[in-house]
Amino acid sequence: MNSHDLSLVHTGTVIEEDSLTLGQLCRACGVHADWVISLVEESIIEPQGENIRVWRFSGENLVRVRAALRLQRDLGVNLAGIALALDLMKELEYLRSQMKISGHI
Amino acid sequence: MQYKDYYKIMGLSRDASQDEVKRAYRKLARKYHPDVSKEKDAEAKFKELGEAYEVLKDPEKRAAYDQLGSNWKAGQDFRPPPNWNEGFEFKGGGFTSGNAGAFSDFFEQLFGRAGFHTGNAEQYGFHARGEDSHAKIYIDLEDSFRGATRNITLSTPEMNAQGQVQVKHRSLNVKVPKGVKAGQHIRLAGQGSPGTGSGQAGDLFLEIAFNNHPLYRISEKDIYLDVPVTPWEAALGAKIKVPTPEGSVDLKIPPNSRQGSKLRLAGRGLPDRIPGDFYVVLQIALPPANTDKAKAIYRKMHEDLDFNPRQALEVYQR
Repeated sequence: MNSHDLSLVHTGTVIEEDSLTLGQLCRACGVHADWVISLVEESIIEPQGENIRVWRFSGENLVRVRAALRLQRDLGVNLAGIALALDLMKELEYLRSQMKISGHI
Repeated sequence: MQYKDYYKIMGLSRDASQDEVKRAYRKLARKYHPDVSKEKDAEAKFKELGEAYEVLKDPEKRAAYDQLGSNWKAGQDFRPPPNWNEGFEFKGGGFTSGNAGAFSDFFEQLFGRAGFHTGNAEQYGFHARGEDSHAKIYIDLEDSFRGATRNITLSTPEMNAQGQVQVKHRSLNVKVPKGVKAGQHIRLAGQGSPGTGSGQAGDLFLEIAFNNHPLYRISEKDIYLDVPVTPWEAALGAKIKVPTPEGSVDLKIPPNSRQGSKLRLAGRGLPDRIPGDFYVVLQIALPPANTDKAKAIYRKMHEDLDFNPRQALEVYQR
């Protein structure tokens, strides 16, 4: 780290609902397009846009693809299992946030 | 360097079969997987487990590890004996799976460093874009209202001139734009892993998360605040001041409000194209009956009010 780094402020772009193309998503997660397409076919992620050429992905999709990758790599879960696990994890997260709102945790 | 007891990490005896190794890994991987686990330091445990499995699942590596003997204790200072790995074929590029940067010094000393043994890439005219990297950044609720600059430190494995992997720490100042929410990402172009040869650097993706706030609770775009009120404020209605992240506001409490009633201040949640809402949750606080005067008032309420909070329980007797 040098003094140059200390003063420099990096401004990024916020990823909106429809920010990422298929190529960008694949690169961001280090996976092949084929695998992302199979996640879409299993409705694990749902892009905006009618066909593959105009597909756009959100930041939430990015999180789900990376979690799916970890589940497959670390636990050997197949696509149907990934879909089930991610949906249950999402529900758990929702319930936890509800408990937090009502002051139970 | 500390000795690691891979059998102990996996809860196995030294004569466990390969099937037992696999089953133990599956079971513990589910327990400590950072996406699923509620355990503390799940991530560190999961990495340790991955490393143990990497060695014990591979008969060659396991045999070599076993050869070190069973007299070592976990955490003991360790130097591999000379030529300890003679006759084994994994030296160099020992990784078959897992995350290269993640294993311990102990592992690397025994089995070599990760995949980067292709020599000097530039020399062979090999160019590739660097990988995109990911990190989580914790901000305060107020940062989302005002925007902020946050300093983050990233640890990235990088290859040096000798082709060895070293973990480098670098510090970055990042502008947090106004209106960001938990779960959103900021992309910083060119701040990921450096490219190989003349390849471009990858991008850095920062996932936003909020620090816990002493007052407010956040749910997506909405903010919740518990506000204590007196019984007479709740019963008769009142105008009170409540804090919001953008300063205090006057709030009208309607008469006959109940415990837990939610009052909405539209548009005073997190800023956005359609901003979130701010909810005040009423918490009725009872004055203590610690003086004669207070006791007299409670007794008078008991005598004058026909109030039965347990009607639905059907056990009430006057």
